[in-house]
Amino acid sequence: MTETPTATPDYDDQTVRNFVVATITWGMVGMLVGAILALQLAWWPANLGLPWTSFGRLRPLHTNAVIFAFTGNALFAGIYYSLQRLLKTRLWSDKLSTVHFWGWQAIIVSAAVTLPLGYTEGKEYAELIWPIDLAIAVVWLAFAANFFGTVAIRKVKHLYVAIWFYMSMVITITVLHVVNNLAMPASLTRSYPVFAGLTDALVQWWYGHNAVGFLLTTPILGLMYYFLPRAAERPVYSYRLSIVHFWGLVFLYIWAGPHHLLYSALPDWAQTLGMVFSIMLIAPSWGGMLNGLLTLRGAWDKVRVDPVLKFFVVGITFYGMSTFEGPMMSIRSVNALSHYTDWTIAHVHEGALGWVGMTIFGMLYWMVPRLWNRPLHSVPMATTHFWLATVGIVLYIVAMWTAGVTQGLMWRATDAEGLLRYPNFIDTVVALNPFYWIRLIGGLMYLTGMIMLAWNVFKTATAPLNNQAPAGTAKEVA
Amino acid sequence: MSGEQDRLLGHADEADGIDEYDNKLPAWWVGLFIGCIIFAVGYGLDRHFLRPTSEALEYDAEVAAAPKAASVEASITPEAVAAGKEVFMTNCVACHGADLHGGIGPNLTDETWIHGGKLTDIVTTITNGVAAKGMPTWGPVLGPKKIADVAAFVHEQGGGQ
Ligand code: HEC
Ligand code: HEM
Ligand code: HEM
Repeated sequence: MTETPTATPDYDDQTVRNFVVATITWGMVGMLVGAILALQLAWWPANLGLPWTSFGRLRPLHTNAVIFAFTGNALFAGIYYSLQRLLKTRLWSDKLSTVHFWGWQAIIVSAAVTLPLGYTEGKEYAELIWPIDLAIAVVWLAFAANFFGTVAIRKVKHLYVAIWFYMSMVITITVLHVVNNLAMPASLTRSYPVFAGLTDALVQWWYGHNAVGFLLTTPILGLMYYFLPRAAERPVYSYRLSIVHFWGLVFLYIWAGPHHLLYSALPDWAQTLGMVFSIMLIAPSWGGMLNGLLTLRGAWDKVRVDPVLKFFVVGITFYGMSTFEGPMMSIRSVNALSHYTDWTIAHVHEGALGWVGMTIFGMLYWMVPRLWNRPLHSVPMATTHFWLATVGIVLYIVAMWTAGVTQGLMWRATDAEGLLRYPNFIDTVVALNPFYWIRLIGGLMYLTGMIMLAWNVFKTATAPLNNQAPAGTAKEVA
Repeated sequence: MSGEQDRLLGHADEADGIDEYDNKLPAWWVGLFIGCIIFAVGYGLDRHFLRPTSEALEYDAEVAAAPKAASVEASITPEAVAAGKEVFMTNCVACHGADLHGGIGPNLTDETWIHGGKLTDIVTTITNGVAAKGMPTWGPVLGPKKIADVAAFVHEQGGGQ
């Protein structure tokens, strides 16, 4: 199969390169903050006794940085790269691309300043104060206009499956962000949500769950559908499966939010709805996993040598795991044990480090040599990154599963007289401490891999120009 | 495998070189999907219509089924006071002080009682707590035996009536 020429002058690859650099920069920052949090939970003096560095303020900094800065920029890079090539046209508007890139970075910087200062709306994953929320809406709409403008001027008729997944993100995130942040400003930094009490909680978790669904799941599947077959040079296993599982996901995800509010004041029937829609999500989620893994039929020999495909295989596997675990945690009796414990944290990072992170790394290692028109600086270094990250994830999630189940069982343990076996909360904290140290080690391994990626990309981008066609990463190994 | 397997759709020129097979949905996957839908509908019907229940009813049933601690008649014996001292030192000193002279909580050695100084009053206060003022509810934590002991100890130390 012949390589399609990459840096065709038609395409706007400068914007893509900008987003790649931003992804790597914010990825290191966000994961460093994650590692600091992990240290603080294991060893409290790391809070430093200062309000700005305390766990409560750094935690939202971590979640916002890894979700909106690391994952967000990676999605924009991957989408802009693949969209142009799939539709055989340059991005619709250079102006909008510039507004989108710089606007998004300005939002991230303002988040990085306001969150440690303690300015927050107090809604998880939507902490940012209302002026920043407005800026997000404006920049997101610039992205949406650029996206649909590009679709409108496309030079091919067919819309490849990756593009449907991207579209579901563009549309859904707009609605979610606007509705969940509806608020009445009281001052520049303070506002009151228009919803109150239980309604507010339900709207928040409708948002929270679908932010996971339409930022960390469907667009990442879109990236998989473009970058995996390109890297493996294999056709997608089943077009039909992609249609059925796409509509399954989009239709079912929206209803599953109440699984975050089990055993709360939410009416019983609404909790049931959240639970059963989560169960029904198993098959559509696994449809994506199947289509990914089966596309590799006949390409497993490449997986052995190509770190890009290794990252994809492990990413897809963790996607399958977390989308089985999630529905199990939505079952009332399981959630009664897992809720409020580190089991949730294990589940989160299975998806975040395993699925989202690994897929992004694979995509970057494939895209960077083509974007800068130079072979990857070091393939062995990329392979080392892969192993560090994989072992790091395993340490992280096994430690958190063990911690979560231990914690849940200790909370509910009673003696023969029906009295709590561990009435003092501190008993559970002490029991979890060793696992927090193990999680820190796993997290540091993952962070080290991320830094190696940054170095590898830096060396690639600054290497002398290679006039030959860009080489796929696997070829230098062979 | 049938001849239908792995027929290319021929979209590659319209998708940056990526082609797609027209493969059928894997049968086990379809089975899984339908199975989950049947479970979902069945669970909802069962819980809300066939054998209606709710989290509140489940809670009541669990509480009714839970083992009950035998009730203990508090009385002032040397054993009870000694055992009560130990309970006090582990759970109460943070607020009432090791000498019971008070801190966050009031002095327990004087004649003044907010909630009554009879042994039975003290048992009641400790068991139920005074949530609004910051005295924890000890009933489910210590159980009747330890509460009887610590009440005996407090009664002995202070101006118990
Ligand atoms: C977290 C702090 C705290 C702890 C721990 C605590 N108490 Fe108290 N306690 C209080 C406060 C505050 C009050 C006053 C309540 C009020 O003003 O009505 C109080 C009141 C009391 C009273 C009633 C005094 C009166 O004047 O009527 C008794 C008896 C008592 N505590 C016993 C105990 C015992 C026994 C323990 C240990 C098992 C304990 N307390 C642990 C804070 C505490
Ligand atoms: C070096 C890597 C990382 C480390 C060490 C790390 C560590 C942590 C820690 C310690 C917490 C707080 C847990 C608690 O409150 O008990 C946390 C929360 C969280 N992290 Fe990470 N993290 C890392 C990477 C990531 C990435 C890449 C993502 C997303 C793409 C992510 C998403 C989240 C989310 C969503 C939460 C909040 C979970 C919840 O509220 O249930 N993390 N992380
Ligand atoms: C079918 C798919 C999934 C289902 C049904 C599901 C279900 C759940 C459930 C039941 C919880 C725990 C709620 C609680 O007890 O508080 C949860 C938490 C979470 N899940 Fe999933 N999950 C799925 C997939 C994923 C994936 C792929 C990711 C990430 C990439 C993810 C990210 C998260 C996050 C970030 C939280 C923590 C939310 C919070 O409390 O802050 N989930 N999920």
